Amino acid sequence: MKDIFQEVMGLEGVRGLLIVSKEGAVTLTKSSPEFKNEAERLAQINWLPFTIEMSGINDAELVYDSARFYIKKFEDGYLIVIVGDNAPLSMVRLNCEVLIPSLSKMQPATKKFGNLLRKKLF
Amino acid sequence: MKPNVLIVDDDAAFLRLIQKDMEVFADSFSISIAESGNVALEILENTYVSLVISDMRMPGMDGLELLASILNMFPDIPVCMMTSYDKPKTEEAALGGGAVGYLKKPFTAIELFAQITKMLNKRADGGSLHNVTLETFLQLIEMEQQTSTLRVIDKKDKKSGVLFFRNGELMNARSGMKQGKDAAYEILSWSNVSLTIEHDCIFKEKLIDGDLQALLLDAMRAKDEIAGEFEAEEDDAGSEILLDAPIEESQPEIPEIKAPPVEIKAKPPVEKKAELPPMTPIEKIRHKIKAAVGARDGISDIFADASWDGLIVQASNIGEAINCGRLNALYVHKDRNEQFIVIPGPETLAITISQDSPRDRIIAALV
Repeated sequence: MKDIFQEVMGLEGVRGLLIVSKEGAVTLTKSSPEFKNEAERLAQINWLPFTIEMSGINDAELVYDSARFYIKKFEDGYLIVIVGDNAPLSMVRLNCEVLIPSLSKMQPATKKFGNLLRKKLF
Repeated sequence: MKPNVLIVDDDAAFLRLIQKDMEVFADSFSISIAESGNVALEILENTYVSLVISDMRMPGMDGLELLASILNMFPDIPVCMMTSYDKPKTEEAALGGGAVGYLKKPFTAIELFAQITKMLNKRADGGSLHNVTLETFLQLIEMEQQTSTLRVIDKKDKKSGVLFFRNGELMNARSGMKQGKDAAYEILSWSNVSLTIEHDCIFKEKLIDGDLQALLLDAMRAKDEIAGEFEAEEDDAGSEILLDAPIEESQPEIPEIKAPPVEIKAKPPVEKKAELPPMTPIEKIRHKIKAAVGARDGISDIFADASWDGLIVQASNIGEAINCGRLNALYVHKDRNEQFIVIPGPETLAITISQDSPRDRIIAALV
């Protein structure tokens, strides 16, 4: 599981990534050491209102003052990659395209395993 | 002029190695190097480059972003991508993004040479002509309704430019950083040129108004006027006498002191500018985008659209959770292949863009 995210996390400027189900549950978090606290805060958010607004949207990018979120929809939810200003955006998008087919295979069968899965990854 | 190939890679040792290995082919082409996309663009602005070969994975501006910039600013210069990260999607992304070739690292010097010569030969598949009269040749292209790309070199000043023809119509032109009519006028004013002809044209849309004959006449008229100004200066003995007047006899300067009142008269145009009505938010956005990316923005509409406000609120809340500042813009790609750039504000504005739109540059211009 770590291997499929290694390429994305290895890109310069990539701070972290999450996988959020369509029901708004965070099922996976990965972050650089510097971004660990922010990643934990993101994992605690209720993402359901956001996923509702994302209905009908294939992919999106949110551009903030000091970060950018790249969001890609897949079969079971959303891959969200958090990057800084110096990240090579084209490579991030390309790597996410490569990653998407693998994500459906790794999703837990039921939601109740989500937290357990997240703990194992750390 | 010998072709010049620009190699772009953040690995300085790799670049030096390529430069050294390619020295044996110095009779065929020269090699320039750049360690980043930004340096590559500076070189392209100031140097004649025939072909760019760029690594895909570089810090800051990566290869795909450089490719998009070159396609926008220097559409006639082919770009070949190279990478050690070889997956099917990588090649698809490179070629789909407009690259003309794809090299997988590691490669030998011979493989690189083969790719370079393949690209350079394509640029002159129609042959080369030297010491030609440009106007006559262009009229021939128009008459025969040819589709071709002409690379023109002004032998006197060593400047270069490109003219793009489709079915005999002049579609676009490029000279240095200029494109369109300005570039066409500059190229058409050159007298002693060499031409290289490629039997293809990347432009399907005519970006230069007016027909070739009218452009040729205007360019010739401008050329004659410049030549006439030089002749007038040589003939004006009165001016020469004034110039020869010694400064110590400073009385002739007194009339010059009267010049400032003329400058005072120049002030009213500034006041006229203040009378212009303020730009609407949509007009401001159009202005910024045009300044940043020019005419080829891929935008079909800009309009107020409050339907995005729900997403903006949720996205803003997420940003606040990790203190990453204000939400400045969103890019959204909907399931029906509709794409938008959304700008939050007192009134949410949505920009409908096409697949080819340089969205990163548009967003950078607006935030």
